[in-house]
Amino acid sequence: MFKNLKEKPVTLQFPYEREEPVEGVRAKVSWEIDKCIGCRRCVIICPGNAIELIGRGRQAEIKYNVGRCLFCGECIDVCPTGTIYATKEFELVFNNRREMITHFRRKRKTKTS
Amino acid sequence: MTFEIPFGPQHPALEEPINFMFEIDEERVVNVKLRLGYVHRGIEKIAESRNYQQLVYLSERICGICSFAHTLCYSQSVEELLGLEVPERAKFIRTILAEMERIQNHYLWLGLTAKEMGFETLFMYAWRDREIIIRMLDMISGKRVNYGVNTIGGVRRDITESMIGRIEESLKHLEVRAEYYTKVCTKDPLILRRTVGVGVLRPREARALCAVGPTARASGIAHDIRADDPYAAYGEIPFKVVTYRGCDVASRMYVRIDEIKESIKIIRYALKNMPDGPIRVRVPILMKVPKGEAVSRVEAPRGENLHFLKSNGSDKPERWKIRAPTLANLSSLCRMLIGINLADIPVVIAGIDPCIACAERVVLIDSKRDKWKIWNGKDLWRYANEWYRKKYGF
Amino acid sequence: MVPEEIWILIETFLFPGFLFLFFLAFFTEWLDRKIVAKFQNRYGPLYVGPKGILQPIADFIKLLSKEDITPRMVDKIPFKLTPILLLTLAITPLFCIPILSSTALISFEGDLIAVMFIMSLTALLVFIGGWASTNRFSSIGSMRAALQLFAYEIPMNIVMIGPAITAGSLSISKIVDWQAHGVWNMFIQPIGFIVLIVCLMAHLQKVPFDIPEAESEIVSGWIVEFSGKKLALIRLAKNFEFVLASSLITSLFLGGPYGPLYISPIIFLAKFFLCVFILSNLRAAFARYRIDHLLTGAWKYLTPLALLQITLIKIWGI
Repeated sequence: MFKNLKEKPVTLQFPYEREEPVEGVRAKVSWEIDKCIGCRRCVIICPGNAIELIGRGRQAEIKYNVGRCLFCGECIDVCPTGTIYATKEFELVFNNRREMITHFRRKRKTKTS
Repeated sequence: MTFEIPFGPQHPALEEPINFMFEIDEERVVNVKLRLGYVHRGIEKIAESRNYQQLVYLSERICGICSFAHTLCYSQSVEELLGLEVPERAKFIRTILAEMERIQNHYLWLGLTAKEMGFETLFMYAWRDREIIIRMLDMISGKRVNYGVNTIGGVRRDITESMIGRIEESLKHLEVRAEYYTKVCTKDPLILRRTVGVGVLRPREARALCAVGPTARASGIAHDIRADDPYAAYGEIPFKVVTYRGCDVASRMYVRIDEIKESIKIIRYALKNMPDGPIRVRVPILMKVPKGEAVSRVEAPRGENLHFLKSNGSDKPERWKIRAPTLANLSSLCRMLIGINLADIPVVIAGIDPCIACAERVVLIDSKRDKWKIWNGKDLWRYANEWYRKKYGF
Repeated sequence: MVPEEIWILIETFLFPGFLFLFFLAFFTEWLDRKIVAKFQNRYGPLYVGPKGILQPIADFIKLLSKEDITPRMVDKIPFKLTPILLLTLAITPLFCIPILSSTALISFEGDLIAVMFIMSLTALLVFIGGWASTNRFSSIGSMRAALQLFAYEIPMNIVMIGPAITAGSLSISKIVDWQAHGVWNMFIQPIGFIVLIVCLMAHLQKVPFDIPEAESEIVSGWIVEFSGKKLALIRLAKNFEFVLASSLITSLFLGGPYGPLYISPIIFLAKFFLCVFILSNLRAAFARYRIDHLLTGAWKYLTPLALLQITLIKIWGI
């Protein structure tokens, strides 16, 4: 047991020292909304009902609730156009529930006449 | 003079809330009454309103530590209903991950039992070693607990060549540490004093009370689903079922430490002989599962895990019943607790590796006849037996 | 020339009196926590003050400011008096230990017996405190404390008399004096030294003998109903008992403030910290005994060893 006196302690002093997240870590997901075709597959597959689709087809917009997200990554696997991609943000702390919902809007097309 | 002591639901010795009412007569336990239901989350009711793919993630969250066993059990039952054949590589990956989860669970258990005995140093050491295996799981799946790797039709993440090297390294380290713990637990007089002869469960009682997992294997009953009814890749991997004849908490400790070593051997064999190929079979998202019922059993780290799934042809299941290993061990626990000292209660409770989150009550809702009844173990057993008899025709 | 009274006042209140003892108690607790943490491969207290030294003081102040709940069914007078008495009885024997020079602040023939008596009273107070808080867990804790008293009290007292026999006096200061002119008692009475360490760990209720306040079984045992100021005083009393135990070992067996060349409080502190290290080391290395193991073990091993030590002294005529 004495040799353990020489070993460095294992605890990392968060938040002063942190470990780098590994490749393929499951963290928040995000959308590139322009590629979305509104097929609703992510809405069906999400176990926590965290994704909501507003509108139809190519004009659809996405509301994503981080509070309900399980970080399972199913939506990434199932999206046919590759709209959804994974980020590495895992320190998600919010002060109220409204901040947890992200609304991905499309850029409005201006009418040219 | 007997007085009653409530143990739980909030207690430093228990990680999960459960209530025992002990009747104590001068340091000896005379009687014990059990009250469950503090962690009832209504999982089986939620299951009736989610589709099969979503339920994989719900089954993961039945328990945080044995999560992989639950997803494996559930996926296997759905695959049986669909008639899917999982690719070979996926079976091997499932085996590897199941064994890694077993190692992680046993290290956790070792630390907890040491803490119940007052041995904080061993607790810290065991959890430090558990960090190694958790980091490996993190590397493979991206998460430390509740790894969402299993899915209907296979696994979602692959084990690449670069990962294999690091896994081998950590396995070597873990083997050395498991040897160290064997030495400590067989030689240290204080641990021996606290665990030998404590919480005795005779083989006859163990069979009568349906003990499962290491609790039964420490009483000499060689009952292991991996050997009796092989699933995933266990049919092709040679391994030994570990039993001890001691019937007390010390034997359960030795069973678990030996199982760690066996798991390391299984992982090494599987890594070496893993076939190439696809890792999953794609299924449509809103799949309609044909009508039928399936029972699947898996050897979770704590014992035998049983899932029963009944489908009615739509995309949501009709009934999903989970029988977790701790539920089966609780009656043996009540038998073990009678007659021991007050000081040994936490050690004995920790000896069966309780995971109260897995064990919850069930109410069966019969929507056709609009009345509800509670199924106990006997009904389920009878039903499952009849079903198997019909299926295999004997 | 400073008049005598002022000198006595300084000695009583500052050094080596109250102020010094308070700081020593806090420092000892910090040291204990750091040593145990180092053995367990983790950091101990880290942030409060440099390297966490002020952590015990922070804990004390925090507890003083918390709500003090008195349950309805307790016996009020013993419940309220126990923490105060415990603290007083823990500090008092410390004045009999020589720190500065070879005579302590209070020294008279028989102060060793007084110290032993006060230590037994402390254990008895544990029993009364747990019994007065009429809670199932505290009753079990206090019964266990009383049983533990049976186990370790006799060997401890026998072994503490050992140095008195060799020194020919019942005053701690005279024992320390005797060791200065002779050999440290640790070398002539090694069995006594070991038995005293074991019995003191039982007296202090530290692992492996922390049965009355076993954390995982009966949720803090006899302390469970005390909260706020009372808990602060009880924890402080425990720290003082730790200081008392280490100083007793230092004075009776290791020669007190006498060094090889001169006499100084720094040498006393060095030996004191060595004793703290030994006691913390033992605390980190063991699991917890069961109460029946402790009783059988104490009567089978500790008491015969203590008696053996006394007979050896008599036979060798040292």
